[in-house]
Amino acid sequence: MVRLSDLPEYEREHLLVKNLPPLGPPVWTALPKPISRLRVALVTTAGLHFRDDASFEFADATFRPISGAENADDLVMSHSSVNFDRSGFAEDVNLVFPIDRFRELAAQARIGSLADVHYSFMGAGLMPEAYEASAAQMAGLLKQDKADAVFLTPV
Amino acid sequence: MTTGISLVRENAESMQPPRSLWVSFPLGRPLGKPGDAAFQHRVIDAALDLLERESGPVLEDFPEDAPAVEPTSAPACPVSFARPGEDSNSWEDRLAREVAELQPWYELGRRRRNGRTLVGVNELPPAENVASVGRLLDENQLPLTDMPWFKSAIEDLKAYYLEALTAQPGDYDHEQVQQTLWRETTLGAALIEFYDRFRSQDDKRLRLIARIIVPREAVDEATGEELTLSSAPEQK
Repeated sequence: MVRLSDLPEYEREHLLVKNLPPLGPPVWTALPKPISRLRVALVTTAGLHFRDDASFEFADATFRPISGAENADDLVMSHSSVNFDRSGFAEDVNLVFPIDRFRELAAQARIGSLADVHYSFMGAGLMPEAYEASAAQMAGLLKQDKADAVFLTPV
Repeated sequence: MTTGISLVRENAESMQPPRSLWVSFPLGRPLGKPGDAAFQHRVIDAALDLLERESGPVLEDFPEDAPAVEPTSAPACPVSFARPGEDSNSWEDRLAREVAELQPWYELGRRRRNGRTLVGVNELPPAENVASVGRLLDENQLPLTDMPWFKSAIEDLKAYYLEALTAQPGDYDHEQVQQTLWRETTLGAALIEFYDRFRSQDDKRLRLIARIIVPREAVDEATGEELTLSSAPEQK
């Protein structure tokens, strides 16, 4: 459905404005071990958090931790963009944050394990550079958690 | 190392993340279809396979579209929003009546989802928030002094309506549900009224608020200029 040719002109223009250049020189990390031994974390830009956490503000470069020990069905969404479907996420948290699917992959030994903590940003209203400091902070936390790889989901 | 989903291929081509799987699914649905674990696993598998590539950047297309919803399979809308002979011009009255009428459907949907709901970003219940939203319109006011409340209150109200409209089990066409929300409900009309009022403000920062109230498809136009850190409205 998100083929630009299928969208109205105003929608196409909005999405093409986001055609930004690469953030810096190319970065490439080769697979350090078989996928079946990787420790994987989920990171999303869907504006997810638990009700007790602070909501995301209109434009907000911070992130919220999502502990794997908590019930992901309790996650809510305070994303500033209103231009994407939320009814599917209301139906199934895995549509955006596929935690149950990754638990199944860990149980099947398709991956090694899941990180203890996953993370959500809210991807709207700011240029990528605004997220640099908080992304670096999150990367440090992922290293402490011994995550080898991150699976990224947008909305 | 990272791998992941891209919903807009042109953006990924431009920014060149190391490994990215483009999917043709609607915005908001990066894994394709709610409740379809097998389909979601195929998407994840394809993205994980990119980790084994020896050089990049890699941008690969997922070969399947999201499963289509048959037009006859979606349950009918549980509530008629037609209001012949509407006896009140008050936004507050009409919104309160609509929220009350949807409540059993919202509760039914919540039970079907085993208690899961997206309502609750705002600490007040929908009936209380919708009364405040209606009063603002009736008094021709904008919520200038409490934007965080307004943002979370209308998020909660939209979630309440979407969950009530999809209370019954079945596959829903999410675009049809959006059409119902924006074209048939009093809440949709109320939010479009707020959109118009914010769009007509002289202050650019207030005009930017309009874009978080209604989607472009509801008003069939672009909803404002792009945001940057410096142009984002302040929140208290």
